[in-house]
Amino acid sequence: MNKAWFFSIMAALSFSSLSWAQEAKSVRAIIAEAVVLTEDSDAQVKLVNSLTGMTDPELEPLLDAWKGGSIYLVEGADDKYIAVTLAGDPDATKKETALRLDTKEPLKDAQGTVVRVAPARAEIAETDSSIRRAMKSLLDLSKLTAPNAKDRMLAITQMGMERDVAKLPILEERLKVETDSSVKRAIQEAIALTQLRSPDKAVRLAGCTSLAEIHPLSAKDSLESVVKEALKAGDKELLIAAKKALEAVEAHRSIVNFLGTLFRGLSLGSVLLVVAIGLAITFGLMGVINMAHGELIAVGAYTTYVVQCLFAEGLALSPFGMKLSLPGMNASGWLYEMYFVIALPMAFIMAALVGLALERGVIRFLYRRPLESLLATWGVSLVLQQLFRLVFGSNNVQVNSPSWLSDNWTINDVIFGWNRVFVIGFAILIVFGTWALLSKTPLGLLIRAVMQNRNMAACLGVRTERVNMMTFGFGSGLAGLAGAFLSQIGNVGPSLGQNYIVDAFMTVVVGGVGSLIGTVASAIGIGVVDQSLQQILGNPVLGKILVLGAIILFLQWRPAGLFATKTRSLES
Amino acid sequence: MTHSLLVRPIAKREWAITAIVAFFLIVVLPLLNLGGLVSDFTINLWGKYLCYALLAISVDLLWGYTGLLSLGQALFFSLGGYMMGMYLMRMIGTMGQYKKDMPDFLVFLGWERLPTFWTPFSSFSFAMIMMLLVPGIVAYIFGWLAFRSRVKGVYFSILTQALTYGASLMFFRNDMLMGGNNGFTDFRFILGFDIRSPGTKRGLFIVTAIVLTTVYVGLRCLTRSRFGLVQQAVRDSENRVLFSGYSSPNFKLFIFVVSALIGSIGGALYVPQVGIINPSEMTTEKSLEAVVWTAVGGRGTLIGPIVGAISVNALKSWATRAYPDLWLIILGGMFIIVVLFLPKGIVGIPGMVSDWLKKRKPRADESEVISINKPEEEAA
Repeated sequence: MNKAWFFSIMAALSFSSLSWAQEAKSVRAIIAEAVVLTEDSDAQVKLVNSLTGMTDPELEPLLDAWKGGSIYLVEGADDKYIAVTLAGDPDATKKETALRLDTKEPLKDAQGTVVRVAPARAEIAETDSSIRRAMKSLLDLSKLTAPNAKDRMLAITQMGMERDVAKLPILEERLKVETDSSVKRAIQEAIALTQLRSPDKAVRLAGCTSLAEIHPLSAKDSLESVVKEALKAGDKELLIAAKKALEAVEAHRSIVNFLGTLFRGLSLGSVLLVVAIGLAITFGLMGVINMAHGELIAVGAYTTYVVQCLFAEGLALSPFGMKLSLPGMNASGWLYEMYFVIALPMAFIMAALVGLALERGVIRFLYRRPLESLLATWGVSLVLQQLFRLVFGSNNVQVNSPSWLSDNWTINDVIFGWNRVFVIGFAILIVFGTWALLSKTPLGLLIRAVMQNRNMAACLGVRTERVNMMTFGFGSGLAGLAGAFLSQIGNVGPSLGQNYIVDAFMTVVVGGVGSLIGTVASAIGIGVVDQSLQQILGNPVLGKILVLGAIILFLQWRPAGLFATKTRSLES
Repeated sequence: MTHSLLVRPIAKREWAITAIVAFFLIVVLPLLNLGGLVSDFTINLWGKYLCYALLAISVDLLWGYTGLLSLGQALFFSLGGYMMGMYLMRMIGTMGQYKKDMPDFLVFLGWERLPTFWTPFSSFSFAMIMMLLVPGIVAYIFGWLAFRSRVKGVYFSILTQALTYGASLMFFRNDMLMGGNNGFTDFRFILGFDIRSPGTKRGLFIVTAIVLTTVYVGLRCLTRSRFGLVQQAVRDSENRVLFSGYSSPNFKLFIFVVSALIGSIGGALYVPQVGIINPSEMTTEKSLEAVVWTAVGGRGTLIGPIVGAISVNALKSWATRAYPDLWLIILGGMFIIVVLFLPKGIVGIPGMVSDWLKKRKPRADESEVISINKPEEEAA
């Protein structure tokens, strides 16, 4: 039986286009014809098979309706059945209008009145297992020939997972005509994996050989079980072939892992860099220990959240028992997706403003007392965290990534998430911008002068107070930008800043306080080492602990960090 | 000799006041509790406060006297607590939920037998030795590494912060076999006494008060000794100390280990009184909170941290009930105000007032005398 329907498919596959051209019957008509042949299931199968190659969108819903029992049989005038569906308009007697399946017109009896049927009483068009099987392979096949490459890909992946040897010829047939290269690869993979299941040894060997060529990562388990079977059966030839394929897969896996780790390390390093660069300015250049830096990051993240809400339905907040509701623009589509573009500068501005207030209110009194600035800013950080809780609630808020950040590229099995690619580019931009500001603009000149020797700069007429303010504001704004970015890759909550503050300080200290290039080097170094340790140890927490330990030991070797600013003064 | 000429001896009056306060804490309060005049709850609460006072003193010994702001004191406090906790866990015996002679969480993790390092903790004296050894060794290794490479000022703070963070990550892990996220709780007996009975709580309070008094008196003498003078000189100008031929790293290392031990003892007394220890005690925030107590009470004095720990925690007990939402804002605000306007804390208020009055007399027209912008002693 199995073979019989399979060959009929093959025959249909070869001639379908021909027969379709001859008869030019619609899918509806053919199915309506098939449904009523209740006596002859072979003929039904034949008719179903004759649908092969038709690309009618109605095909799948109609077959589903047949399978699902929502097609009914009504006896017509000449004692022949007519296939109908019900219109779904029950009257008092629960009868519904019957619609002819082939024409969609209401069914009329000899007198010309519309036939109404009660679904509970009507005869359902049955399907037996052979018809259902024919339908299934028909649908599979129609999906394989879908015009959209993505749909084909999906169908092939599903078929590949079934590992049904009977479907091998269909796949091979498709492989011959497939044009899309990634789909082609997927077909090859599906074929090879299915071949491993074949009872025929030559086919299995062929499967192993082609797997060794295309080395897909998903083949590992199947190959391992083939190795086991071959060992059991003492089949040397198969064993060698399978082992060779397995080696190819493993080699490929290690390359993919290496590249993936490198990429993740780079992107983690970029995150660290974005977070630490603001600190490199306030701590590195100005010598202020700002423990509230993390909360400035959170300010940026919450600003992104608010901007997003303003683009959508608006926002209702209830700080201190007051009701505050902001109307939204109810934007959708590309306009909504652009919210992040607006959110970035807003995050910078908001965090810079909070930073300015912090500098004017607290830090300017403490420039000569770094330890005390640590304590006071920690106090500020507690207050800000609690304010976040009171205004936005203590749970995380939902920030949606715009679609242009949430997809990924998969190149040779290595996944490059767009948000991670974006953070790398973003970090490069920020570093470049900061460098340009510090070394190419008049403000940068003043900043460097004040940081090198505050008194001398003051004597030469620089308004050091104002420069301090601007510098601190800029550093804080960078923290805000970091927050806007972090909202895209992690949770936004009141304690967001606390998760990054230790890492950020470590990055600046390892890089060498006061050195921008040092911060860049240490951020990327820490990122890559962290990800590699995670990969090797298979445990993120253990990796993190080791990194912290390594940093403490590293500072033994270079107490002033990677790029130490050289100075002759005794008290640095 | 010269030393005794230079340092004013501690006044008899001060000893007398210390003795009276100590007598009140060690004898009078427990008696009042026995007589029913002071509730068991109050005794337990004050026992906790005194443990916090020990932690605050350990912070002050480093920060106020040596100029090292350690954000790792909470680590030593919880390490002591964990060592005591291990003993208390062993004392539960077969009374746990799984009725096995080992801590519930180990049974839950699928251990058939007690891991080797847990076995000796059924001995109280072993646990107490470990309570001193473990934090002592951690402090010694970390301090040796840090002071050898001349890590100081804010760098020291940041490194201790990283140490604490790393340790808490480690203790959060289940395969550390130290209770993971939930830590230790559900204690039953200590040295054969029921840990929940009022009598045991009173006893623990008395022990805590005795330890605190001993530490206070010991440190009062230490800071007045030649050693203490060098220690304060390190705070004020480390390079001059180095050039005078003192090995300042060794002084700092000694003080670091001593304060780690004091913190650890505080933690070990704290755990049986509150009945739980978990890794959330081991965070930088807890260290910083202890720094607030010290700053509010008055750093650079020994009585300040005690006053600060008790008053801030009393305020906390009240505020977290009356205004739970605002407590962190109060705490943070207190921190900012103390740092900006009250560098000497509560204990320093009388001195500031008399200074202010003195300066006010000759030039009564100038009202703005206390300049907050005036640089204090170089802290870094």
